[in-house]
Amino acid sequence: MASVEIAGLRKLYGDVVALSDINISIPSGSFFTLLGPSGCGKTTLLRTIAGFHNQNAGRISVDGHSIEGLPAHRRDVGMVFQDYAIFPHISVRENVAFGLKQRKISASEITKRVNDVLDVVQLGAFADRMPHELSGGQQQRVGLARAIVIRPKVLLMDEPLSNLDARLRVDLRAELRRIQRDLGITTVYVTHDQEEALAMSDTVCVMYEGVIQQAASPLDIYLRPVNKFVATFVGANNFLAINRSGSQLVLLSGGAKVLGSCVDATDIVCAIRPETILAKPGSVAPVGDEIAIPATLSNVSFVGREMEVIAVTDQGETLKSLARPDPEIIGLSQNSSVTLCVNRSDLAFFEAGDAGGCIG
Amino acid sequence: MTSLLRRFDFWTVVTGAILAVLVLLLLFPIVRVLMLSFVDADTLDWTLGNYVELFTRNYYLKGLKNTLFVGVLGTLGACLLGIPLAFFTARFHLWGRAWISTLAILVLVAPPFIGAYAWIMMLGSNGFITNFFEGVGIDIPTVYGAHGIILVFTLKFFPFVFLMTQTALMAVNKSFEDAAENLGCTPWQRFVKITLPLVFPAISTGAIICFVLSIADFGTPAILGRGFRTLSTIAFAAYRSELGGLPTMAVTVSMVMIVISMLALLAQRRILSKRRYASSLTNLPVKVKLTGWRNAAVHIFCHGVVLIAMSPTLVVVYTSFLKTKGPVFVGGFGLESYGRILRTAPEAITNSFVFATAAVVLITMFSALISYVIVRRETAASGTIDFLMMVPYLIPGVVMAIGFVTTFRSGFMSGTSAVWLLIMLYFIRRLPYGVRSTTSSLRQIKPSLEEAAINLGAPPLRAFLKVTIPLILPGLIVGSLMGFITAINELSGTLILYDSGTITMPVSIYLAVLDGEFGLAAALSTVLLLCTGLCVYLVFRFTENRDSAFL
Repeated sequence: MASVEIAGLRKLYGDVVALSDINISIPSGSFFTLLGPSGCGKTTLLRTIAGFHNQNAGRISVDGHSIEGLPAHRRDVGMVFQDYAIFPHISVRENVAFGLKQRKISASEITKRVNDVLDVVQLGAFADRMPHELSGGQQQRVGLARAIVIRPKVLLMDEPLSNLDARLRVDLRAELRRIQRDLGITTVYVTHDQEEALAMSDTVCVMYEGVIQQAASPLDIYLRPVNKFVATFVGANNFLAINRSGSQLVLLSGGAKVLGSCVDATDIVCAIRPETILAKPGSVAPVGDEIAIPATLSNVSFVGREMEVIAVTDQGETLKSLARPDPEIIGLSQNSSVTLCVNRSDLAFFEAGDAGGCIG
Repeated sequence: MTSLLRRFDFWTVVTGAILAVLVLLLLFPIVRVLMLSFVDADTLDWTLGNYVELFTRNYYLKGLKNTLFVGVLGTLGACLLGIPLAFFTARFHLWGRAWISTLAILVLVAPPFIGAYAWIMMLGSNGFITNFFEGVGIDIPTVYGAHGIILVFTLKFFPFVFLMTQTALMAVNKSFEDAAENLGCTPWQRFVKITLPLVFPAISTGAIICFVLSIADFGTPAILGRGFRTLSTIAFAAYRSELGGLPTMAVTVSMVMIVISMLALLAQRRILSKRRYASSLTNLPVKVKLTGWRNAAVHIFCHGVVLIAMSPTLVVVYTSFLKTKGPVFVGGFGLESYGRILRTAPEAITNSFVFATAAVVLITMFSALISYVIVRRETAASGTIDFLMMVPYLIPGVVMAIGFVTTFRSGFMSGTSAVWLLIMLYFIRRLPYGVRSTTSSLRQIKPSLEEAAINLGAPPLRAFLKVTIPLILPGLIVGSLMGFITAINELSGTLILYDSGTITMPVSIYLAVLDGEFGLAAALSTVLLLCTGLCVYLVFRFTENRDSAFL
């Protein structure tokens, strides 16, 4: 168990900036997730912590001690790999014992610790199998066991579930989280799956183009994204154009007045989560603190738990709504007119551009 | 301090050591040969005179013309046999397909000079086929001269074209051919317009290997030439006659040989660069069952080609069991030839095994390290090493050996013994076989396996020994066996470097053939074939794709 501090970390590949001024503080025992699209630098950051890359600038400390200059094999951080990386030529038991042997631990202690950890990952019965006799999920359990049996200060996981099928992924992620909590081991987890990140983490750190966009609790990341990139990447979102009419800002579609006139940013968009939009048939006036956007129904798909409504506003903007199935809406024919209703408190505003900041 | 440590990590040191060895054993001798070719043998001044002499004197020009002539026609012959053979085995149901490719592989690995002298025993002035036709009153041309050399090259090198084209043909997406047929092509048009262009890269690679080997071949023209000189025999003769002085003409001829090989390779690369056909194997080709006379003709052709190509080997083995009295065959069978090699040439056998084994131990160690550096370390140095691994293919044995002599027998290294020179020569010339096989093995291994070992606390060397080596072992063994086969059969370089105490089996065979001691040569060749065959068998055991392991 240990806290991890990363300060001013910078990594270049030639002229390409892979990581730019990374500052992170991970409390001891917490589950910290790096989330972002491929190529955002999350894996590079993880591998730099593991010592497989050398940073160009900045410092990584574990428990207050810098690990700069320590070669990868002496960093004492456990790692779980995306492709499992289970040694195919030795048995499950020998795989798990590999790190313990490097640490010159006595044979009896090794046997005991290997048996214990295999019980923790529920593979006790498979100790003497060869890796090719195991399924993907089982191999990844071996990968986890092998990484935690050395009792590392920090556990690193590089998209450990991405090679597994959907059902198994959900099962195993709960199990990973349970084991991590039981052991209280500080964990850095890399994923591009936002659902996984939100479900497992204490802190989610969203990265884009080598820069940390936001590091916060899953709830804050979802409800209070600090910029347009986070709002787009985590969860679905609709973006609506805003016009300046005199000193007043109004939505292009529907013409509702939004924000105060005090905002001086020139180019602003309005973000609305699909699940906050309610589609109503016909033309409906706004009630209370609502805004109403008249639109034409483009498509309704009923997917069981919910229905997805795609509608095009009179100004030509396309919006998506996710809501409880409403037989009346599902029964409408294409091009029927509908009204999209949203509470003002569910609107968010960002400066335009890929990573425009949050306003208001 | 820490940055210093980082700069001198294990693999950086290994990369440096590999580069040092390659510079010493590969670049030094070649640069030395290059420099000597610009030196006047008498005045020791810089001069272009050697090249002027080479390109003006008829003796050398004729040699150059001869080399290109037999090289081009030998390659053409190899293609004419190899391409149809590949097409037939890849596309038709053929009885004994595994047998055909096994024979082709045996032809490929058999000592190169055995073919030449076995053909003398068949078609030489006193060959049994010549004698047979003479007996019935027909005068057939003997095997000596250009046509004989072309015949031997064709039959010796066609397996390269055959095996490479076959592999490519089996990977051509059948949908291409189906589409061509659907658009109205007859089977023949389809073959010429679609299939052949698609496998052209493989054919040209096989052909270029044939050409480079033909240019470099020394044993065949030396045994069959009879006044028909090629550059390799001219270089060897020049080296012999310049003994004592500076071998300037020998190295100048050598440089021309290197340039020809390099130009051929560059031309092929240039042609290939425009033809890259990525193929997804969604629709594998199917084999057609032929009937009637077509079926018979295809079978006769395929089995005929490999049997004729194998016939020198069979003749050699047969001859080794003939009863002899001195150099004369006296009729009947006997083991006298084997008795004679034990009496007269036991050291040739032990030398061959000792030198080849020593070289292979080095090849194995270096292959493992070099392939790791090439595959896992993407630095300028690893790219350079990767490139340098192609060079030994292009340098004829005669040239490499002359480079060794002029580098290591002069100046402060003049004391280097013939034993070490031979081992180093075999090592550097056959290293690429080991590296290539090991490299392709290592490319199949995910890098995360080594990273996992390091992450668990194993230092780089231990991670390499405990995880990487066990996983690439099959490739390493196959590469080492290939290195052994080619090292123990080396003739041209050895002829230049050997002395009284370091004679090897190929040299003994060569000398015996020149002396007309065919029984002795046959017995030694059989010993050589036996251990080559054993290695081939072991390669089969350790490899999944038998055909491509030998290319």
